[in-house]
Order: sequence, then structure tokens, then C-alpha cells
Amino acid sequence: MPITRTYLVKRILLLFLVVLGVLVISFIITRVIPARPELLWVGLHARAEQIERARKELRLDEPIYVQLYYYLADFFRGNWGISWRTRQPVILDIITSLPATLELTITAFTLAFIIGVILGLVAAVNYGKLADKVISLISIIAASIPVFWLGLVLQTVFSIWYPVLPAGMRVDPSLVIGTGFKPITNFYILDSLIQLNIPVLLDVLKRMILPVITLMMYPLGLTIRMTRSMAIESLQEVYAKALEVWGLPRSKVLYKYILKNVIAPVIASLGLSFGYTVTGALMVELIFVYPGIGYYVGMALLSFDYPAILGGIVFVAVIYSLVNLIVDIIHAWIDPRVKF
Amino acid sequence: MDTILRDFLKFLVKRPLYTTGFIIVVAFIIVGCIAPYILTKPEDAWGITYDLSRAFQPPSLEYPFGTDAYGRDMLNRVILGSRYSLIIAMCVIVLALIIGVIVGLVAGYLAGVTGTILMRITDMFLAYPPLLLAVAFASVLGRSVLNTIIALAISWWPWYARLMYVSVNSVKSALYVEAARVIGLGKFTIMIKYILPNSLIPVITQAMLDIGSAILEASALSFLGVGVPPPIPEWGRLISEGWVYVSKAYWITFFPGLMLLITVVGFNLLGDAVKEYMNPRLRNIAAKR
Repeated sequence: MPITRTYLVKRILLLFLVVLGVLVISFIITRVIPARPELLWVGLHARAEQIERARKELRLDEPIYVQLYYYLADFFRGNWGISWRTRQPVILDIITSLPATLELTITAFTLAFIIGVILGLVAAVNYGKLADKVISLISIIAASIPVFWLGLVLQTVFSIWYPVLPAGMRVDPSLVIGTGFKPITNFYILDSLIQLNIPVLLDVLKRMILPVITLMMYPLGLTIRMTRSMAIESLQEVYAKALEVWGLPRSKVLYKYILKNVIAPVIASLGLSFGYTVTGALMVELIFVYPGIGYYVGMALLSFDYPAILGGIVFVAVIYSLVNLIVDIIHAWIDPRVKF
Repeated sequence: MDTILRDFLKFLVKRPLYTTGFIIVVAFIIVGCIAPYILTKPEDAWGITYDLSRAFQPPSLEYPFGTDAYGRDMLNRVILGSRYSLIIAMCVIVLALIIGVIVGLVAGYLAGVTGTILMRITDMFLAYPPLLLAVAFASVLGRSVLNTIIALAISWWPWYARLMYVSVNSVKSALYVEAARVIGLGKFTIMIKYILPNSLIPVITQAMLDIGSAILEASALSFLGVGVPPPIPEWGRLISEGWVYVSKAYWITFFPGLMLLITVVGFNLLGDAVKEYMNPRLRNIAAKR
């Protein structure tokens, strides 16, 4: 395991710098670009004295670097403003809706990764044959499909025309009351498992099917394409040919040798596909009325609720940087050739 | 150039899937260019008038894509929408390319403190997930075609700056650059005359491959209500307008989305074709089979 402590420390310091960068950009968006930043903070219909108070609170009469200092301080203190829509502190809203989004994105992401690697390998082994062509076409369509459109189409077909899958909400409210289900961690799968509440678990899973399918399309397409092209190149390497000539069955060559070479670059690309998944969550949660961060920011966009929009986006950007750090560390751990 | 194009077309013809992509892209560009002149109901397309008596007509011979909540013919709106998708995507790519190339060129060639600062700024932008930064900018800038282009270009250029930076770094140690420096040419002249033309190809190629994604992201912005304002019939906008009526009039969202899907698939297929054509190793493997 070639990961040294200095590497970790260096990366974590770098993460801190990246978070600072994210905040500087959001500061420019909220305080420098708008003509009257105080209106973004309190709302367009605020009274004169509210606006005056906001000007003082945001220190808009002071030099820009002082404003930036207090902006950063407010962020780290958790003062992200009050949402106009929910009338609650933005940070509180985000923390309550985080588990829903994590449950959805992690499920979609894991499924996309597993199915993507398998399909990619199948395509590579059958390079140029029918199976390869079909899988390649699937991957191109998956990577090109507009998530918001796919979500609407699936909802129309499976919830309205043939109502086999319920759409909207994470769980049926009447079921919650009927079975006495209590959200503890707000990860509903976990909560229902802890309480051994099978009806709620089934309902939660059923309601996740359509959003997960919609959300996993882009990372699925990306993973198939990546795995396929890496595997095709690896299969051309001399060692792979040698192993086959040696008499090793192809499946064994693939499983024992090729997979190792393929998996590292695919993992390196996971960070980016995670980025696309969270962006997709913004639209998918809005369409399926799935109350996570995506739904929160989406509703904020539709009602011009600026503290919530910016708070949500900055939060997601920070999480994204964190995921990229984790992906890099896993990549370095799997592939010892990666230099620090 | 002519022979390369002919060679590429020959390469395309042998691969039906790539040919399909090529045809889709050409058709999209042609329709986008001539859209205002082939409309049968221009007032419907531009959304100037409305006629509630023919609202929510399902697809028929007269209205192949149906009509929307205001009785406008969806086919006409979708045709005009292609023009907006084309213009927005092209402007985003060109604007991002200009910023990205300049930043990458300066950062790569000057290196030192300037280079480090420029690349750290680039990294700051890359720390946001794709599209989210554009959403943030667009929400503050307000809805308009120009603001959509600006918001997307702001979130797009860092990718090109990165690519350009890497490309410049591999070019700048070449012998002809060394020679230019020895004969006493200035930094600026070397940068413009020798480094720029020789490091541009990878960035331009990538930019061409990105047109499909640019179309997709522009429509996502409009879908979220921070892109182009009504009554502009941009495809994402059309889908978002039909969203409320999806249970009683599926066609309002279905057809614009289908066109969006086909167009993006076309650009991605063509992109793959270009990639395979330019990667001789991949082509050789293919030829052996």
C-alpha cells in the first residue's frame, strides 16, 4: 500500500484550498455580480427596514475584502441565510434532505458502476460482433439521453398510464402512520431495516426504482464506454495474447488479468460521473417529488429562493470535491503506478 | 484538407452507425439554419398568438406533434427550437474555446507565478460539478438567451484551459520553439506564431465533440427555469412547459425530448467516429477483424 501520510496530509490541505476556491466563486456570484446583493438575501418583497438590516448584516458598505472575510466566516459558522420558501435556516434544510439524496445517488451510482463494467467487458470480448454493437449503442443512448425527459417519460408510462410504480415521495405517508415507522437516521432503507419494518422497506424500494433508473443512465453510459475501450486495448497487449496462447480460457484471462488493468482508469473517472449524477439528481428529484437536496435546490430555483439555491449548490460542490479526493485515494491504492 | 475529408467520409460510409450520426448532425444543422423559412405556422412557432379552441390536440395529420396548452402547433415550435439549440451550443463552445485557449496558452507558456495562479483559478471552477456552476450563474444573471450562453461558457472554459495547458507544455520544448528563441524572437511572437497553431488541434477536436453536451446542458438550464425565457421554443423550455400537463398531453414533452435525444446521439456518434478515425491503433484493431 503505497499511500503515505504526507500524501494524505497534502491532499487534505489541497481540499481545503479547493473549498476556499468554491466559496470565492460563490461570493462573486452572490455579492459581486448582482446590483443589489441584499435583495438576494432577504427576498424581493422585503420591507425597507429589512433591506437596511440586510445591508448591515452583509456589511455591504465595507470594502470587498472585508465582505469576503465575513462571507467565509459565516459559511464556516453555518450561517447560510434563511430560505425564503421554507423560512428555515438553509443549512438545517440541507442537512435534513441530505440522506434522501445520498440514498438515491449512491444506489444509482453503484448499480451503474457494476452493470457498466460487466456490459463493457462483454462488449470488449465480442469486439465488432453483434453484442458489442448493441451494447455500444445502448451506452451512447444512455450517455445522450436528457435525464429530465427520461424521468417524465418513465413517470408517464409507469405511474400514469400503467400505474405499477408509485411516483412521488420517499414512502407512502399512510403506511408510515399505519406501521408506526420512525425515521431515525433519515436513510429510510436503513431505518426500516433497523425497525424490521418490511412493508415500509418494500414501499421505499418501489418508489426508488424509477428515479434510480433515470439517474443511473449517464454514469452507466460513461462506465460502459470507458470499460469497453480500456478492455479492448488491454486485450491487444502481448501478455493477454500470450496467456491465451498458453491455453488459459478467455474468461479467466479477462477476470484475472484484464479486469485489474481496466478497473483503475474506470475508478479514476468515477469522480466525474458522480458529478453528473448529483447534477442529474437536481432534475430527477424535482420530477419525482423526491425530497432530497436536488428537490430542495430545484424548488428554490423555481421560486427564486437565492439563499437556498446558492447554499445547496455550494454544499454539493464541497461534497463533490470530497468525493474526488476519495476517488483519487482509492485510485492510488489500487494502481501503485500512480505518482504522488 | 480535402483529402482528409474525403478519407474521413470513406471511413464513415463503411460504418452504418457512424453514418447515421453524421446524417443526423447534418440534418440538424441544416434545419437549424433554415428553420425560420420552412415554418408552416410561424406565429405558432414564435408563440405570438394563441388559440385556446385548439389547445391539447393529440398528434394528427394536421398537427403531427400535437398542440400545446395555448393551441400552438408543436411541430413548428420544435423546428424553430432547433435553431436556438444550435445557436446557443455554438456560441457556448466558441466563447469557452476563446477563454480556455487564451488562459491555457498563457499559463502553459509563461509558467512561473502567472501560470500557477491561472491554473489554480481554473481548478477553482473545475471544483464545481458540471452544470451546477452554470445553474448558479444563470439564476443570478436572469433569464435570456445571452445569459444562458454566458452562464454555460463560464462553466465550460476551464476544461479547455486544462487541455490547452497540457498541449502547450508538450509543444513548448520542441526544437522549432527553441530555434525561434535562439534567433531572438520575443515571447509574444513565439506564443502566437509557433506555440498557438501547434497546440490547438486537441482542444479544437474536443470542442467539436462537446457540441452535443452543450445542447443538452443548455436545455437542462431551460428546463430548470433559469435558461431562456418564454415564449422562446428552445427544447428544454418546451419540455418544462409541457411538464404540468404530462398526464393529459404527453406529446408536449415527448417530441421535443425525442428530438433532443436524437440530436445528441447524432453528435456523440459523430464524435466517436472522429475519435476512432484519429486513433490509428483503434482503427488497426478494427481492420483486423
